[in-house]
Amino acid sequence: MRIINDLNLKKQAEELGVSVWRTPSFLFIVLGLVLISAMNGAYHAIKFLNDPEFVFIAELIVVAVILTIGKMVINQAEQMAKLNKMKTEFISVASHQLRTPLSAMRWQAELLLSKMSEGLDEKQKEKITNIDMLSLRMTRLVNDLLDVAKIDQGRLSLTIKEINISECINGILKEIILPLASAKEIKVIFDDKGDLPMVMADADKMKLVFENLLSNAVKYTLEEGKIEINYEKDEDFAIFSIKDTGVGIPFSQQDQVFSKFFRSSNVVRYQTEGTGLGLYIAKNIIEQTGGKIWFESEENVGTTFNFTLPLKKVN
Amino acid sequence: MAKKILIVEDEATLNKAMGEFLVAEGFEILSALDGVTGIDIAKKELPNLILLDIILPQKDGYEVLDELKKDEKTKDIPVILLTNLESQEDIVKAFEKGATTYLVKSDYKLQDVVKKIKMALGMN
Repeated sequence: MRIINDLNLKKQAEELGVSVWRTPSFLFIVLGLVLISAMNGAYHAIKFLNDPEFVFIAELIVVAVILTIGKMVINQAEQMAKLNKMKTEFISVASHQLRTPLSAMRWQAELLLSKMSEGLDEKQKEKITNIDMLSLRMTRLVNDLLDVAKIDQGRLSLTIKEINISECINGILKEIILPLASAKEIKVIFDDKGDLPMVMADADKMKLVFENLLSNAVKYTLEEGKIEINYEKDEDFAIFSIKDTGVGIPFSQQDQVFSKFFRSSNVVRYQTEGTGLGLYIAKNIIEQTGGKIWFESEENVGTTFNFTLPLKKVN
Repeated sequence: MAKKILIVEDEATLNKAMGEFLVAEGFEILSALDGVTGIDIAKKELPNLILLDIILPQKDGYEVLDELKKDEKTKDIPVILLTNLESQEDIVKAFEKGATTYLVKSDYKLQDVVKKIKMALGMN
C-alpha cells in the first residue's frame, strides 16, 4: 500500500538524496496534521456559530484549498529533490567518464615519450608532446567545470588546516608560472622575506587560486611586462596582492569580472584560449576559506588582485 | 626478485599502459579487467601491491577491498586506489575500507604513480 511505503521516510530520503525533513512524505504528514487542526478549529467554530451549513461549506472550501496547495508543495519538493540528486550523480558520472579517456591519452603519450621513444624522431616526439599538452588542457577544463558544478551545488569541500603558503606560491611559480612568463620575457617578483605566517586554508585549493590569478596575470601582460607578488599581515589575516603591468580590465566591465564564463572584451582580443571560470572558482574558494578578494585595474596600465586569508590562531 | 603488482582496471588501454610502464620500471605485472577476476588473482598469486580502480564490472573497487581485507592471506597487501572519482565521500570510504592510498588518475603522471608505489612498498 502506498501509504505504508510512503511512511518509509528513511528509504525515500536516501532515494531522493535529501534529508528526512524534506521528503515529500514528511511534508504530507505535516500537511495532514495541519488539516486535522484546521478541521478541529472548524468544528469548534461550528459549535459557537449559529449557522452550521454555512460553516460546513466554509470548512469544505478550506479543506479543498489545503489539499490543493499541499499537493502542489509536495510535487514541487519531489521535483527539486530529484533534480538535486541528478546533479550530484552528473558530477560523479562526468568526473569518471570525462576523465578516464583523458588520463588514458596522457598516459599513452607519457609511455611513448619515456619508455617507447626508440625510433621516434624529434618531429614525431613533438607531435606526441602536443597531444599530451592538449589533453592536459582538456583535463584542466574538465576540472574547472566540475569545480563550478560543485560550487553551484554547495558541495565544494575544503580541507582547512594550517599550511605554508610560501611553499604553495613557490611551487606554482616553479612548476607553471615561471616557464610561461619567461617565454614572454615577463619578470615575476616574489619578495619572500621568510616571515610569511601559516594560514588556515586548503593547500590544493590555494594552489589552484594562485595558479588562476598568476596565469591570468601572465596571459594578459604583454611581452617584457612585470608581475609582483606581495604580502602583508594584520591581526587576523594575511593580505596578498598580485600586480601586473598588463592590459587591464575596462571600467565598464569591472563588475562582471567574477561572474561565470566572463572574459572581458579587450582580453579576448589577445587570448582566445580561456574559459572565464578561473576567477569565479578562485573567489569561491577564498570566500569559503574565510577571506575576501577584490581588485583595482586600469586599461593599458595593469591590474592588481588582492585577497585575504585567515591566519593560524595563536593560542 | 621483482615485485609483483596486480592491476585491476576495466579500461583496457589504461590497464595496458600502466602494465607496460611498470614492466619497464622492473616490476612483474598481473592484470584483471573486473572485480571478481581481481579477487581471484589476488588470492592465488598474492601480489606485493594492488592497483585498484573503483568503477569495475562484476564487483566494484569497494567490494574487492572488503573481500581482500576479510581474507587472512590478502588482508595485508597494500592497495592503492587509482580512480577518477574524487568526492570527499569516496575518499573517506576508501580509507575506511583499508586502502593504503587514494590517487585521482587524471592528476598523476605514470612516473608519479610509480613513486607512490615505491613508497608504499618501502623501496629506496
